[in-house]
Amino acid sequence: MALTTLEFEFKADAPKSIAKEWSHLGVTGSGDLEVLMERKDLGGKTKAKVVTPVVGFDAIWEKMINKFVVENNVGDVSIEINDDNATPIVVYMRLRQALAEANAKEGEQA
Amino acid sequence: MEEFDNTMIGRGRDAIDMIIDPDSLQENVIGSYVFDPEYGMGAVVGTIKLEGRDATVIANDAQTFSDRFPVVFGGIIGLEEGYKMATAVYRTMEADADKPMEEKRPIVLIVDTPGNGPGKMEEIAGMNKSTGSYQLALAEARKAGHPIVAIVIGRAISGAFLCHGLQADHILALSKDYGTMIHVMPLTSISRITKMDIERLEELSTSNPVFAAGVDFFYKLGGVQEVVNKVEDMREVIIRHINEIYAIKAAGQFEKLGPWGRGLLGEERGGRTHRLKAMAQMNAEYETVADKYINA
Amino acid sequence: MKNWKELEASSFLDANARERALGMVEAGTFTEFLNPRDRFVSPHLPVLGTAVEFDDGTVTGVGLIGKHPVFIVSMEGKFIGGSIGEVNGGKMVNTLRLAEKAAVQIKAAHPDEYDARRPLVAISFETGGVRLHEANAGLLAHAEVMDAFQDCRHKVPIVAVVGSKVGCFGGMGFVAAATDVIVMSEEGRIGLTGPEVIEQEMGKEEFDASNKALVYRTTGGKQKYIMQDCNYLVEDKISDFYDVLAKVADLSMQQIEEMRRIGSLKLVQEQMDLVKLVGEMQPKDSMDLWKYYGNESPEALPEMSTAEFLKVVKRRVRK
Repeated sequence: MALTTLEFEFKADAPKSIAKEWSHLGVTGSGDLEVLMERKDLGGKTKAKVVTPVVGFDAIWEKMINKFVVENNVGDVSIEINDDNATPIVVYMRLRQALAEANAKEGEQA
Repeated sequence: MEEFDNTMIGRGRDAIDMIIDPDSLQENVIGSYVFDPEYGMGAVVGTIKLEGRDATVIANDAQTFSDRFPVVFGGIIGLEEGYKMATAVYRTMEADADKPMEEKRPIVLIVDTPGNGPGKMEEIAGMNKSTGSYQLALAEARKAGHPIVAIVIGRAISGAFLCHGLQADHILALSKDYGTMIHVMPLTSISRITKMDIERLEELSTSNPVFAAGVDFFYKLGGVQEVVNKVEDMREVIIRHINEIYAIKAAGQFEKLGPWGRGLLGEERGGRTHRLKAMAQMNAEYETVADKYINA
Repeated sequence: MKNWKELEASSFLDANARERALGMVEAGTFTEFLNPRDRFVSPHLPVLGTAVEFDDGTVTGVGLIGKHPVFIVSMEGKFIGGSIGEVNGGKMVNTLRLAEKAAVQIKAAHPDEYDARRPLVAISFETGGVRLHEANAGLLAHAEVMDAFQDCRHKVPIVAVVGSKVGCFGGMGFVAAATDVIVMSEEGRIGLTGPEVIEQEMGKEEFDASNKALVYRTTGGKQKYIMQDCNYLVEDKISDFYDVLAKVADLSMQQIEEMRRIGSLKLVQEQMDLVKLVGEMQPKDSMDLWKYYGNESPEALPEMSTAEFLKVVKRRVRK
């Protein structure tokens, strides 16, 4: 009984960083998660760190975040997730929302 | 559960006698105020003497039963009890209102309570106000200079301990050899509510002070100032702490006492080390923007 | 994130802690303390295998309403029921201490304008009290909050804002009662013992925790308003809560003191009269008291809209 920490690295074809220096979205509620994104010089790569009580789904996490990074051409971004049993589809949806938030202008709806 | 043949659980009135100058309890009298003896019988209030000096005592009486509020028994603090205890504190302040700080009488809290009144009528009338009143009264009296010492002789459970004990300047507790209990909830209930594995909880409870039940863990967190190992020593230790508190207040060091003082003690004893770090960082963050808000 | 105008028009009940924090102060004025990027998570949850949150479930910070700095504590019920542990308990206590510090600074910098610039504390409660995973530290934090409240007395008004899903229970129930001013929506609930525990103690015949109407009649906003246990009852809209905060910020300390329900001998005596009444009447339901206070058809009150309710309701008469 402890939390699992997973760390990944991804590379998109035409990576583009986020507009804001950093951005946060979501709540670590049951079946949900929070996402912290930070702009970082990673040579175009995206780093992701996931902290979760769930064990044994490392491959699915990697697949979902990779899908998000590649499809949205994310790069030079550090992503940190605190998860509490979110389903893969919720993970993907929150990442999309977090990206929109990270690129929204101040005071504008994402 | 282990049997403790020397336990003080349920013996609030005996504890009063063991602590005070012989036969000095004037029950239901504080200053010129006289309490209704039929009101809030689960709480004992009155004036005692300690080495000849007047003090107020507030204790639980676990042996009463109330027809009006049947959930109140066994030391539970009900609606009436909370307000009676609050009144005792306000009357104490009133009695010494004209005295300088160093002459304000001590208040001794004898703690043996399993909880606040948990009923429907209690919620309708607002049990939260009753326990809240008592806490605010104690905080006010403490800041006005009255030395307040709590001694846990039996059960100090969760919200009832917050109500009766945790606003004191110093908290003492009889050692666990007397069956003394300090906790928020038994492990079995924690396990049921949080759905965490009971065996793992039991394993952690032997080592993790922020989580485990018991006097010794509260000591490590700063929640208990000193553990009293022998029941015969209660009187002497209480008097010693009252004198220490007088001296600390005379020196103007109020922050060493009460809940804030327990936070400092918790850090010193290595039990609660993160809250002060969090606060220090917040303070630093505030400093960088304070000007904008102060001179808006 | 919605922009401020959209936030103001949103439901308070559905808003998360950060949205409520932003919505309780003027647009663009909120500075968060220990924001998610500080990553000040609870050190006690990982060993128990419980998920963490970067803000430990409580948003703290300061914003402005006019020239009043408004210090915010906003609890997130979705994260472990909004429960209070070592870190978020410390954040709450320290926000109160910062408000008190700001009061001193403002008095020094603007001695003639203190009332117009007096700080305010707004606490959006959504919590069941102590976090069991770090119960002892959470318990001790509650006592620190009560202590800090007493330090703010007569200097910095403290407003309890209650209109979120979890309600405000356990130790935080009496913390809310100890504030100066309470504003609720009818969806808000304040109590000490939660419905499930009452059922467990008294049996299902006496109190059925699954009976939502009964639960709201016992601890919900309308009941609290009738009992004078909340000062303002508003619609479930963030702007309605904001408007009350703006109003309270400009009241005199004397007016604010008069809104309290506990905190002096006189108030204790007033509450004891209520306890006497309840002891004699032995109400089976809050509606017995609603009727006693002059509401001819108490059963109609829960069904009414907030506006209708406020027009017709009769409340306990204060001394």
